Amino acid sequence: MTNLFEEPGLKQITVWARGVYENKEARDVVVAVTEAAALEGKFVQAWENYVDLPDRIYVPVRAYGKISDQEIESKYVYENETPDIVALTEETLVKGVDILAGIKPGAVLVINTKRPAEYLFKFIKKGTENLASIVTVDANSLAKSIITLSGAEGATDASGIGKGMGAALAAAIVKATGIVQFESLLKIVENKNAAKKAFEKAQVVDVKTLVNAG
Amino acid sequence: MGVKKRISGCVATANAVKLADVEVICSYPIRPYTGIMSELARMVADGELDAEFVYGEGEHGQLSVVYGASAAGARAFTGSSGVGVTYAMEVYSPISGERLPLQMAIADRTLDPPGDFGSEQTDALCCRDQGWIQGWASTPQEALDLTLLYYRIGEDPRVLLPQYACQDGYFVSHILGEVDIPDAAQVKEFLPPYKNHHVLDPRNPQIIGAQMEPSMGPGMQYQRYQAIEGSRKVIEEVHEEFGRIFGRKYAPWVEEYMTDDAEVVIFMQGGHAETCKTVVKRLRNLGEKVGLVRLRTFRPFPTQQVRDALGRFKAVGVVDNSVNFGISGAAGVLLTEARTALYGLGDKVPTVGFVAGLGGEMITHDEFYKMFAKLKEVAKAGKADKQSYWLPFEL
Repeated sequence: MTNLFEEPGLKQITVWARGVYENKEARDVVVAVTEAAALEGKFVQAWENYVDLPDRIYVPVRAYGKISDQEIESKYVYENETPDIVALTEETLVKGVDILAGIKPGAVLVINTKRPAEYLFKFIKKGTENLASIVTVDANSLAKSIITLSGAEGATDASGIGKGMGAALAAAIVKATGIVQFESLLKIVENKNAAKKAFEKAQVVDVKTLVNAG
Repeated sequence: MGVKKRISGCVATANAVKLADVEVICSYPIRPYTGIMSELARMVADGELDAEFVYGEGEHGQLSVVYGASAAGARAFTGSSGVGVTYAMEVYSPISGERLPLQMAIADRTLDPPGDFGSEQTDALCCRDQGWIQGWASTPQEALDLTLLYYRIGEDPRVLLPQYACQDGYFVSHILGEVDIPDAAQVKEFLPPYKNHHVLDPRNPQIIGAQMEPSMGPGMQYQRYQAIEGSRKVIEEVHEEFGRIFGRKYAPWVEEYMTDDAEVVIFMQGGHAETCKTVVKRLRNLGEKVGLVRLRTFRPFPTQQVRDALGRFKAVGVVDNSVNFGISGAAGVLLTEARTALYGLGDKVPTVGFVAGLGGEMITHDEFYKMFAKLKEVAKAGKADKQSYWLPFEL
């Protein structure tokens, strides 16, 4: 029965963030990437985890995106059950949060951090068997994190999509996965400079090499 | 021409309120409808919308503010969710009794308990018989369109009734969908300015909504009954005109999806119908004769149209996304309404109730699959073993 409702072309993006003060940046990442995909004619969906919100400061919260060649059929759901891409708006989320739950084989993890992937990998206790690569980018050195409630609760974000460090994180996702053309992303995000620098500087590390290094 | 944007049901509704050039808005925060008011507050602050934005001190106060505003001749808007909707209960009847065509958006939320933020249509269905026009949107686009349709229907001099424009909380209110936002000129053609024919005037004050003499009661109630019954013709005319102006044609009463040669169908209202459609499509690919009939207007209930639509099938499953403990049929109000519509057709069309998605839980593809499987059994046997099934426990 489960096979009957499979959506083979569907890609899922889950962004983890800290409640309230990074809500906008997490949302911006999924909105920027999905809007870029929409420019390329894809079917898309972006939303925030409804149950995580609102107003829980520093608590791990999630924002989600879906991109598909086909019309999205699993639309009215709460979560991405099987992400292809997981991104973290800050590095401490690698500890104590099951960030890789349900990831598909070949999934990519993107982290906003100054530290190398080798170091952060040690803290990830679950789900690494399906993880293909870890991408690190120091997004905070490229753009500020914008703290605002504008755009919360499904309302319009008047502060501008991809104005802050979310633009850099989105660019790192695009570099590592090629899920959209980088040019498409640049058309959406406001902070084009941060996106360009992140695209250039993001480090992609193969998880196999990390496992072998022990 | 309008613009296409990916927006939530909340933002879609707010855009419709702006396009309708609403003059008085009264807010009080509660999830999930609160996104509508955040957006409207931004529009007013940014100078996109020239309206009085009043902060209510609670939902009872909210409804009282728009009640007064509408009586004074303004096009008025408010909204709420969950326990906010029920807290304002006292004020609904006076508004329709006074025949004031204001609008209230309801983004559903469960009552307490479970009191989570999740959607359940119980809140809005609690006030279904208060003399208001009522129906559910299933997408953000339809949320925008309902607001425009309902103002036009409610303000028609042959109707003059308030309206609940409902959308499932979170599923429709918070998930972004592609919406064609019409331009102001089109809306102006469709929705002329509101004209209150009996404006509340301090020099000659009179009000009939709240209280009157017993001898005046039967006449007032009879008029309100005639108004809601008379709205049926207006609802059809207005939908026709909406299609002509905006190019989006909605069946006013029920939307049928893949029902042409269907043997069994699901009958339901609201956003979960979109999930049901995807299941119907997949089952059709396997050669199954299944379909969906989605109710678009709940009040007035389209008894004849539902009878005509559902009377052709071998089995009908009615999905209720609300609690009606102790109701006949042991499911929900949609089942009892559907059965009433089918009354007299005897055992020809067996009906089964499915209570699903309570507390805001998703109604999954697999659950709809199981409902269709049960309906096929019922169609084959010509009768159901049980009146209703509560998911996920009984199916």
